[in-house]
Amino acid sequence: MCNLLLNIRMSFLLATALVLSINVCLCNSLIAEPRVSFTNDIMPILSKSSCDSGGCHGKANGQNGFRLSLFGGDPLDSYRSIVLQAKGRRVFPAAAEKSLLLRKATGATAHGGGRRMSETSESYQTLKLWIEQGLARPSDQDAVLERIQWSPRQVVLAPDAQQKISVRAFYSDGSSRDVTSMALFSMSVDGLAQVTTDGLLRVVSEGGLGSVTIKYGEQTGSMQLLVPYKQSAEQLRELQGILSSLKTGNSNNGVNEALVNQWQRLQIEPAKVCDDPTFIRRASIDICGTLPTASEVLAFVSDSDVNKRERLVDRLLEQPEYASHFAIKWADILQNRGRGYSTSKQRTGTTLFYNWIRDSLLDNKPYDQFVSEILTATGSQEINPPTVWYRSVRTMPNYVESVAQAFLGVRIQCAQCHHHPTAKWSQADYFGLAANFARVGRKGGFADAEVPTGETIYLLDHGEIRHPKTQQVLPPKPLGDPPFELDAFADPRVALAGWMTGSDNEYFADTLVNRLWAHFLGRGIIHPVDDRRDTNPPSNPELLQALSDSFVKNKYDLKQLIRLICGSYAYNLGTQINPSNQKDQQTFSRFYPRRMSAEVLLDAVSLTLEVPTAFPGGPGEFPLGTRAIELPDENVAIAFLDVFGRPARFKACECERIDTPTLAQGLELVNSNQIQSKLSSQTGFTHRLAVNNRSPQENCELIFLTLYGRAGTAAELEVAVAHVSGSDAADESDKIERYRNLIWALLASNEFMFVQ
Amino acid sequence: MLKITKKLSGKSRRLSRRDFIATGLEVGGGALGLCLPSMLQADEANGNGASGKSLIVFWTHGGMSQQDTYDMKPDAPSEYRGMYLPIGTSVPGITVSERFPEQARIMHHLSQVRSVWHRNGIHAPSAHWMQTGYFGPTLARNAAQMPSFGSVVARALGPRVPLMPAYVTVPKSEAFGYQGSVYLGKRFNPFEVGGDPNAETFKVPNLALPDGLTLENVDARKQLLRSFDRLRKDVDQNDVMQGLDTFKSQALEMVTGDHVRRAFDLTGEDDKLRDRYGRHQYGQSALLARRLIQAGTRIVTINTGYWDHHNDIEPGLEEHLPPLDKAIAALVEDLSNQGMLDDVVIYCAGEFGRTPLMNGHAGRDHWSKCFTVMLAGGGIQGGRVVGASEKWGGGVKERPTTPLDIIATIYHQLGIPLGTHFEDKTGRPQSIVGSGKPVRELL
Repeated sequence: MCNLLLNIRMSFLLATALVLSINVCLCNSLIAEPRVSFTNDIMPILSKSSCDSGGCHGKANGQNGFRLSLFGGDPLDSYRSIVLQAKGRRVFPAAAEKSLLLRKATGATAHGGGRRMSETSESYQTLKLWIEQGLARPSDQDAVLERIQWSPRQVVLAPDAQQKISVRAFYSDGSSRDVTSMALFSMSVDGLAQVTTDGLLRVVSEGGLGSVTIKYGEQTGSMQLLVPYKQSAEQLRELQGILSSLKTGNSNNGVNEALVNQWQRLQIEPAKVCDDPTFIRRASIDICGTLPTASEVLAFVSDSDVNKRERLVDRLLEQPEYASHFAIKWADILQNRGRGYSTSKQRTGTTLFYNWIRDSLLDNKPYDQFVSEILTATGSQEINPPTVWYRSVRTMPNYVESVAQAFLGVRIQCAQCHHHPTAKWSQADYFGLAANFARVGRKGGFADAEVPTGETIYLLDHGEIRHPKTQQVLPPKPLGDPPFELDAFADPRVALAGWMTGSDNEYFADTLVNRLWAHFLGRGIIHPVDDRRDTNPPSNPELLQALSDSFVKNKYDLKQLIRLICGSYAYNLGTQINPSNQKDQQTFSRFYPRRMSAEVLLDAVSLTLEVPTAFPGGPGEFPLGTRAIELPDENVAIAFLDVFGRPARFKACECERIDTPTLAQGLELVNSNQIQSKLSSQTGFTHRLAVNNRSPQENCELIFLTLYGRAGTAAELEVAVAHVSGSDAADESDKIERYRNLIWALLASNEFMFVQ
Repeated sequence: MLKITKKLSGKSRRLSRRDFIATGLEVGGGALGLCLPSMLQADEANGNGASGKSLIVFWTHGGMSQQDTYDMKPDAPSEYRGMYLPIGTSVPGITVSERFPEQARIMHHLSQVRSVWHRNGIHAPSAHWMQTGYFGPTLARNAAQMPSFGSVVARALGPRVPLMPAYVTVPKSEAFGYQGSVYLGKRFNPFEVGGDPNAETFKVPNLALPDGLTLENVDARKQLLRSFDRLRKDVDQNDVMQGLDTFKSQALEMVTGDHVRRAFDLTGEDDKLRDRYGRHQYGQSALLARRLIQAGTRIVTINTGYWDHHNDIEPGLEEHLPPLDKAIAALVEDLSNQGMLDDVVIYCAGEFGRTPLMNGHAGRDHWSKCFTVMLAGGGIQGGRVVGASEKWGGGVKERPTTPLDIIATIYHQLGIPLGTHFEDKTGRPQSIVGSGKPVRELL
């Protein structure tokens, strides 16, 4: 035991001595060899071999005592771990191949991560050379990787085809080199294609759209891959006919053209246009969060005007329900949160803010103005309701993440602690953006055990943010652009709002149009809607551009944008699949059905059954007949809403609202008082049908029209009529129960719960 | 900018009677539809047999005093020692409180870790720490930030028998909201029983039919739903429809079928056995837990009792210790008799312990610097004491053990690989155990 310890100690001393001597003496003798740079040569190897990934040595605690800087973010940190830690036993310049670093990497010494490279590989040779050359440390003299260039940028490949990707790195000293073998490649979608570690792309699907993410050092990029769906020559001719007829004579501001071009590239035949009952149900739910009534459906179907769909959208946009419905969306994004220990005190503020949002939408306030008023809000909530935004958004990370995610569509969270692994954001970007909020002051208000409410927001005289590593004070800075030049009296938030809403801002308009596109089409062009980065490119850049251009040209007019979206081919298609579009989830070649949101679904049940939901609240707070889309905050205790995915409003992320199916949803539908009491009401729809003098046939027709927004089919009506009629022997008093059963079954069916 | 908000003049459409239309229209065309997939086939197909082990948790919400229960300090001055005397157990050398005679009798099945600690002394953040393994919420931001170990288990293993809910809390989840799934998805939230299993009228809301609804009508509804719910599932590639169908079927099956209802029905148990568990919330909850586990639930957390004894700790403990003691012992013996003890991990803990020194109100305050948790069954060695507190209580004397170490021990026993990561909302892979390492001395 003692001997062993002694040996280890000896070799440590020896290694240390050798490190020193090699550094001093051996440089000259090795001058012929190119000098291996830790930052530019060794770090890429560690990343390429996944040594510094989050699942291995990159995680906060490292792996088995060996920790590397995550994704190669901090070369000096990794250098210290390799060369200085563990008593220097990881590298052994006197006999480089005996270094633990190399022995573990090749699996010669037992390694939990297995064999990462062979002795003959270039990576191994480079590592060995670096050790032999004396373990050069990262230095300011190292050339800095400035950008990468890759080719091709976009590629159209047939099924089974292959493509070699090449990547070149460019450095601050003017040099460049091929780094394909050291770059990291990954596919954005599963099942479309495979990419090997040396950049060979091989299509493995029948068709589709995706991108390859390319990463080298802290530089990232992506390459779009299009694989046209296979069609016979005859099918192709037919498809061309369909698409060119769609192309002629449309004037949808380039939106339709962008859609058709995409279908053309991928050889997709879009679904047929949906029928009128489907469209009015779809548009009423998506714009107003409200089912159309039976009579509205009938009137729309019998209207012979060719422009009736546009007229419908215009009419819906003038309904107050439009404002309420979208106010819910914004109250989510703006985190108008009611939960806390003292709800009664928070409700005042959340109501003021909700009403302000709803008024803004009702007045069709331009979106740039809407956002500026929120960002730059000062004063009290009574005078200036958007100050309530600052109640939920109150810490440095809140400011940065909420602004980036809500208005710029960027998830920058990662950059709080390290360089973003898949985007260009650094900690300087993160804290530079934070600096815009360093002078937000608060006074007054009521502080309960959770978050103060009713504070007055004002501009502090001083306030600064420091870079967490360098401790340098960072001036207020917009994302991705140079810092603002501000005098001491200027509110940096005003500058930020001005930058954001400038017509040349590359994020602002895109983010909103993408958000609304996703609202109506079920998926963003950038997906998820608030995750814009080079490595998550838009599925159809041309489409995003067309929407965004129109939005800016129309001075950020939200209703105009909705008209544009609702008038697009995509929004008017049916949900049907055909052989060429059945796999498609990204080109909007058919309408993707989705479940109604929690509030809209509850309202749909209440409206259909003609029994309002009783919302718990203070006296007069939510009079009977209040709709779920009118609730100012999420802290109104209705289990149905939580079960169906109402968000807690903790994050400025629409991802908080979820449609994941759960068992609780099943039970809520099957067995809850919420639905059963509405079915059993003595005044509602069910009761009325049971006691009227109409024939079961007539009643059942109405039921289908009311719940599904379409006529029942003969087969459906037969089942329905048979059930409500009961057997001859059936008790008359059971009749209402039979209507309840029928209506319940329709309510619980997917056709009722889905927008399609 | 300084607009005064007025109430909107145009209100949204309130509920009103609908126009009555008696004509049908040949529009739309019925959905062609596939047959509703045979009820729970899909679910049964992916029912997993990865691990046969399950978990029952006694959560001492509020913080149970370690010094009056498992970690007695008989030699300390009276203000530390408390009012109880230690008694011997079935394991020579191990003593527990005289209020734990039942557990003393079966101590060879139970083990204690007497050196658990973390760094917070406030209920909510501490509950988060013990439930998730991570410090997270603060007063200014009290939302759950990490999934509870129960949700992780539910996500990693699912129910043992498909129809059963994977994760159940009795009677409800604890009030802070830290027994949930957070980013793992609502599917992995606990199913709350919602009633006191000891009550005469005990029935499970949403499992028990609402008043006025009969089983025949539910059956009729089931048939009708089957006729109408024919929307083609292939138009929805996100599988929400398919998922909803599965859960609707499961819910209907739970309500109408025998398996789930029987699991929740304690009246089928022998009266003598029910007495052995104790006719109180602790006892009957434990018995319910055993029934649920037997029927295929993976984890049951019993949130019974409030242990925050700042004032007059003695009457508080008099109320809670005997029923807890009886419930744990009866459960262990019952499982053992049924040959299930090796398949069920039993865990008793709260957010923290209580101060070694009694306060001026004859109570003990919050103490997270060193407290005891109890583990048994599921392959955990019985009759062991791991770690130790200081002489009169206080800090950890030997083998500091973190909440993550305990959670890692549980996962390990349940057969969940400790390298498992789940992605959070930002797509960042989060380790289920972080730095936690199983307590090897118990294995």
